Amino acid sequence: MRKCFDNVEVLKDISLSVKEGEVVSIIGPSGSGKSTLLRCATMLEKMDGGELKYLGEAAAWEEDGRCIYAGKQKKKEIRKHFGLVFQNFNLFPHYSVMKNITDAPISVDKVPKKEAEERAMKLLCQLGLEDKKDAYPYQLSGGQQQRVSIARALALQPKILFFDEPTSALDPELTGEVLKVIRELAREHMTMIIVTHEMQFAKELSDRIIFMEQGVIRQEGTPEEIFANPNERVKEFIGKFTA
Amino acid sequence: MGITTIFLQLAKGMGTTVGIFVLTLLFSLPLGLVLSFGRMSKRGLVKGLSKFYISVMRGTPLMLQLIVVYFSPYYVFGIRISSGYRFTAVILAFVLNYAAYFAEIYRSGIESMPMGQYEAAKVLGYGKGQTFFKIILPQVIKRILPPVTNETITLVKDTSLAFVLAEAEMFTIAKQIAAKETSVMPLMAAGVFYYLFNLVVAFGMEYIEKRMNYYR
Repeated sequence: MRKCFDNVEVLKDISLSVKEGEVVSIIGPSGSGKSTLLRCATMLEKMDGGELKYLGEAAAWEEDGRCIYAGKQKKKEIRKHFGLVFQNFNLFPHYSVMKNITDAPISVDKVPKKEAEERAMKLLCQLGLEDKKDAYPYQLSGGQQQRVSIARALALQPKILFFDEPTSALDPELTGEVLKVIRELAREHMTMIIVTHEMQFAKELSDRIIFMEQGVIRQEGTPEEIFANPNERVKEFIGKFTA
Repeated sequence: MGITTIFLQLAKGMGTTVGIFVLTLLFSLPLGLVLSFGRMSKRGLVKGLSKFYISVMRGTPLMLQLIVVYFSPYYVFGIRISSGYRFTAVILAFVLNYAAYFAEIYRSGIESMPMGQYEAAKVLGYGKGQTFFKIILPQVIKRILPPVTNETITLVKDTSLAFVLAEAEMFTIAKQIAAKETSVMPLMAAGVFYYLFNLVVAFGMEYIEKRMNYYR
């Protein structure tokens, strides 16, 4: 994929494919294009060039040097394949926790209300939030809000889950509870792409780590490869975190 | 004329005043929303026209607008005005004027919504209409309630402007009695009525605000 903002190339011909059940972490300094990559992959941002495919279905492709997106209906179908967890949660403040989780399944996927609520309750129990179902987002801590937003994404039963710096808005204590949830998802072999600054976390949980800088992938490999044998720039970056 | 008689006469005009108030809100609130879409449109022509309309409606006296709406069928189109048109003209002018103010209030509310709400809805698969009516508008309404209350209270007092078309609302009647009796008492009494009306309005709006305070 390629993406420019006002003639500044943010993504310079980046290629990335993720296998089912794989957990991929994307690390790198601010402004390296990590979030833009995620936003392009989730179709929140339009690419200027390149190709985007989910389970073999094309969401966007290139024709005569221009990026063409699939039709409305097709995009809607493709969106069902993935979920996205935002850095600042973006829960709907006027909905209770339960409604935040059930409203999209009910009004988008036409899941019967009862079934959607059962599904939501199961998720809430899994995430240790069963007593919060009637609470409103403002009554929850950041960590709880982020867990609700993970539940909201999971309720649509996506095949792949994207995380855009899911713990960057949280203090260390709350970070822990969110990472724990992601760790559990990894154990269940949920396919995930995680943009993160949590080095230790990325190291222990990822099948593959991607180091991005200035819109390109500088290094890519298993955590062992990256941390045992980092190239110069990656070494410098990781060093800052572990020092 | 005793004070009781004055109050009874004014109470009759109160019916018309309430009528103007309710009908104006009923039509200008939705029309204002449509107009705010025009004002925020990406199409230059639609946006320009909406901006011009709002600018004229806010920039000229409502009293003049009442006169224009009432007389233009005759002067512009040569249609003879029937007396039944009087009340319609009053409502039309008020709706056209208040829609402009409400449009700007809606716009301020809609533009203050964080992008994240739209993005979350989009990723979850909500369509554009669903996103607006289920996610955005309810939150916008909560945000714009205080300025809408302001505008609503102003409307109660503005209904008195209908006197320029001699519509028999409360203020018109108060003026007539005042002239006949050469006394300011009827006007003062009308003031009391407007104040009481606005107390009710403020109370109602406060209730709605409280009802919406279940979230932050």
